[in-house]
Amino acid sequence: MNFVALRMLMGDRAKYMGIIFGITFASLLMTQQLGIFWGLMARTYGFLTDTRQPDIWVMDPKVQFIDDIKPLQDTMLYRVRGVEGVAWAVPLYKGLLKARLDNGNFQTCNVIGLDDGTLIGGPPQMVADSEGKIGALADLRRADSVIVDDVGAEGKLARPAPIDRATGKPIGKPTPLKIGDFMELNDHRAVVVGICHVSRTFQSQPVVYTTYTRATTFAPRERRLMSFVLVKASEGTDLSQLCKHIATSTGMAAYTTEEFRWVTFWYFMKYTGIPINFGIAVGLGFLVGTVIAGQTFYNFTLDNLKQFGALKAMGTGNIRLLGMIVLQALIVGMIGYGLGVGLASLFGTLSGKTELAFWLVWWIPAVTGAAVTIICIIASLLSIWKVMRLEPAIVFKG
Amino acid sequence: MAVGSASFSASANGSAAAAPVRAVFCKDVTKTYHTGTTQVMALRGVDLDIQQGELMMLVGPSGCGKTTLISVIAGILDRDSGECEVFGRDFSRLSAREKTRFRGQTVGFVFQQFNLLPALTAAQNVAVPLLINGASRSAAEKRAREILDRVGLGDRTTSLPSQLSGGQQQRVAIARSLVHDPRLIVCDEPTSALDHETGHVVMRLLKNVALGEGRTLVIVTHDARIFGFADRIARMDDGRIIQTTQNSPEARDAAMAPAH
Repeated sequence: MNFVALRMLMGDRAKYMGIIFGITFASLLMTQQLGIFWGLMARTYGFLTDTRQPDIWVMDPKVQFIDDIKPLQDTMLYRVRGVEGVAWAVPLYKGLLKARLDNGNFQTCNVIGLDDGTLIGGPPQMVADSEGKIGALADLRRADSVIVDDVGAEGKLARPAPIDRATGKPIGKPTPLKIGDFMELNDHRAVVVGICHVSRTFQSQPVVYTTYTRATTFAPRERRLMSFVLVKASEGTDLSQLCKHIATSTGMAAYTTEEFRWVTFWYFMKYTGIPINFGIAVGLGFLVGTVIAGQTFYNFTLDNLKQFGALKAMGTGNIRLLGMIVLQALIVGMIGYGLGVGLASLFGTLSGKTELAFWLVWWIPAVTGAAVTIICIIASLLSIWKVMRLEPAIVFKG
Repeated sequence: MAVGSASFSASANGSAAAAPVRAVFCKDVTKTYHTGTTQVMALRGVDLDIQQGELMMLVGPSGCGKTTLISVIAGILDRDSGECEVFGRDFSRLSAREKTRFRGQTVGFVFQQFNLLPALTAAQNVAVPLLINGASRSAAEKRAREILDRVGLGDRTTSLPSQLSGGQQQRVAIARSLVHDPRLIVCDEPTSALDHETGHVVMRLLKNVALGEGRTLVIVTHDARIFGFADRIARMDDGRIIQTTQNSPEARDAAMAPAH
């Protein structure tokens, strides 16, 4: 009878396609929106993902997320180094500075100042510039040197194309920043010695790496300039205990990288409209999918009511009819889910090199799958209810 | 269910060598429909006795209770009171599951609007009762093709209902009602959607093929042109059987002659 159920389902092409369309749409929208949501949230802590060496981040207790900088006194570094269980501790500068572009415009950059001696906290990957030259992290030890991220070098920091005076339009494309180019950071000369690849940041600003000392020279003068102290725990030290120990000893906040990632994540969840906006989109996808699939599936059942009645009259039991409807719902659910997640993956692949944040992690297809299952259950329940209550005597009514 | 080969002979009607077996027995059957505050008494104490191998027609004006009676006999509608047995089994004493199984094995249906599944081919439609009874798809379709051959549609086994004429569709429906070798076939207005000549062909088929092997046919009809095919005719009015008449052998023979 499974064969009969499938032929009944696929026999009415328009409704069959309508149900699949509804579920595909819901599945696509939910997967895509959750993927963008997760991609966007991952950008909030992208710098933490890239900075792999330290175990613990020490900061002002009022810091709420990675970009919420509340500078520390330089002496804090020595206090942290004095805590038992700390293998090493280095300073890190993180701040927003203005870069002056060739056309006179200004671009805010995320400047990272690394410990002069160790360069700990540097970019995870050096890449070739537009001329194929690759710099090294150690090049930061050269005078006025900076390393710029590839997206910034090719985008916001690229040299603008000359303007055609007649038309007022640019001639050609902007020239990407390359090794050897000069730039101006807060009225200080800087030389590009390398291009790196980093995780995209939430605000999509160019990322500029330099040494801690140079960063504090670039930055406007302030009494306190150190943003974080990066700590490596001694071998065998319990990280959470060490965090508590550092906090008690220094009065500062100390988080493991994972903890700081979640602190940042929940800040954005709590204080921005991101989860609400995406939640609404996901909810709408679920609702529209349920309505389209449910309505079409129910109409399909209504159209086939006489056939179901005939099957009932001819000796098909309620359990078997229920199985037939569940099978029909399962088939359209699986096809719609596969198409929706497939299209969302295709969307992610195609948008991989754009500004769009999209990260399809394992739980997103699982959540979408659960939602599609619920849609199918809701859609089929109406039909099951109708068929279960159906009097087989309907077959003799005109 | 095992799919046995059935041989179809001409009507067994009249070859009363063996003692007659009671196929359907109804006594004082009542049925009332409730719609909101309105009550419609469809059956007001029906008495009916149909022998195995008999072709019984239920005739009468619209709303007289024919369809309700055939539904009660077929076990797809519960009566309110009275007695009703089909081959000695009282539906009211069977559980819903037993009733469904009994219906699936014992009763064949022919509907006014054919009720073929539009997405299935003729052979697949005919195979449905066997699938319901647990036969494998290949065995069911093989048997279905044999039956379709017997009703003259051996060359249309792969046609969809939409590709068949009304008469052909009704022949497919007849094949479907026969394929699982039921003992009772109930037909609701089997010729009303067909022209006279096609209706005549369908009735001859029912009489010749369906009424073999000791099967019993109960036909509800308005179509006076086919009354001659019946062994007996029960006239109904206002929820009661008001008259039962026996057709003469001559009348039956005349009906079986080709239509003009």
